[in-house]
Amino acid sequence: MDTHSYFPVTPGVGMEENFLSLDDILLSQERLPVRTECVFPRLGFLEKSSDSQDIAEGTKMEFPLWLSKGLYEKKRKVLSVELPKVYKEGWRTVFTADPNVVDLHKMGPYYYGLGSQMLHFDNPENPDIAKTLLQTFIGRFRRTMDSSQNAYNEDTSVLVGRLDCLEKVLFRSGQNGLNGFQSWEKGQASQLTASGLVLNYRKRKLVDVQP
Amino acid sequence: MDPSEVEFLAEKEFVKIIPNFSLDKIYLIGGDLGPFNPGLPVDVPVWLALNLKQRQKCRILPPEWMDVEKLEAMRELERREEAFAPAPSPYYMELTKLLLNHASDNIPKADEIRTLVKDIWDTRIAKLRLSADSFIRQQEAHAQLDNLTLMEINTIRQFLLDSLNCMYKLRSNRQPASAKSRLADY
Repeated sequence: MDTHSYFPVTPGVGMEENFLSLDDILLSQERLPVRTECVFPRLGFLEKSSDSQDIAEGTKMEFPLWLSKGLYEKKRKVLSVELPKVYKEGWRTVFTADPNVVDLHKMGPYYYGLGSQMLHFDNPENPDIAKTLLQTFIGRFRRTMDSSQNAYNEDTSVLVGRLDCLEKVLFRSGQNGLNGFQSWEKGQASQLTASGLVLNYRKRKLVDVQP
Repeated sequence: MDPSEVEFLAEKEFVKIIPNFSLDKIYLIGGDLGPFNPGLPVDVPVWLALNLKQRQKCRILPPEWMDVEKLEAMRELERREEAFAPAPSPYYMELTKLLLNHASDNIPKADEIRTLVKDIWDTRIAKLRLSADSFIRQQEAHAQLDNLTLMEINTIRQFLLDSLNCMYKLRSNRQPASAKSRLADY
């Protein structure tokens, strides 16, 4: 069973991000295809494909999520965000057909998180995206549950390999429940073990203590 | 909650023992126990029964439901019914483990009982998973957990709560009206 010496902050999943969640920080680095709607003066060095000093209007670029979210405004068009291909109509049909066959780790790995973040940007397809996200989660739930509750003492990398980051967190909590029960049933729970904190704790060196 | 905590709670259940010593009534915070007389059955909590048993001061009488025929009937009922049948005891899994591990010489057909209880447990867990899945699939908001025992709930609790949490958030994405107004405030 994995124990943390700190309390992990879970990802925010929805439109809100958890500021302290490591997953959400990684999520904010995901790149989105954007199209600039005005000139960005003197920022041409960011755009490697052209030599001009400015980024011209209508340039297609990739921005990380945090930057696009900051620059995006409804009233004053600075940039327009295009949907990554997993959230487009074509892939949505695949997800509605059978969400279980998709390798979400390859498609994401923050499929749900990024999908929810996409709702920040005005897009006529937003309701459909939200619906597909929910349906995908529901469709894949049974598989995640069964594999996490049945895989005891075996290599789980195959099971986990195709899961989204969010599903991985769920998988881990399912495994915790199973492992806890199994170790109780085998009588291992009554044996006292040293805490991971103590094992990792190194002796302080004298030089550090002395002023 | 840890399974060992559930086991701790189960140790408060009462079980009948036949002591082979005599002792006056003992007064404890949880209630008075005894008096103990050799050969006379008396009700004590499981933790005390096991302690006395380990010191060979008593014989434990198995609870009524811990009987091969009754458990077999229960297993059949459990397999037939779609919903959860009433559990033999709210702590059947924990008590079986505790009593069979420490006092298997006082319980007739201990091995059969162990297998039967394990069968009942497996059937119930499979049902639990099935109902959890349909719960998620139909996007229900509440479920009744009739006849489920603490240990059963405990194995799936964390997973189910986390999943429901995620589902709730993904669902609230679909009504982004309030979120949009918040975005406009920036």
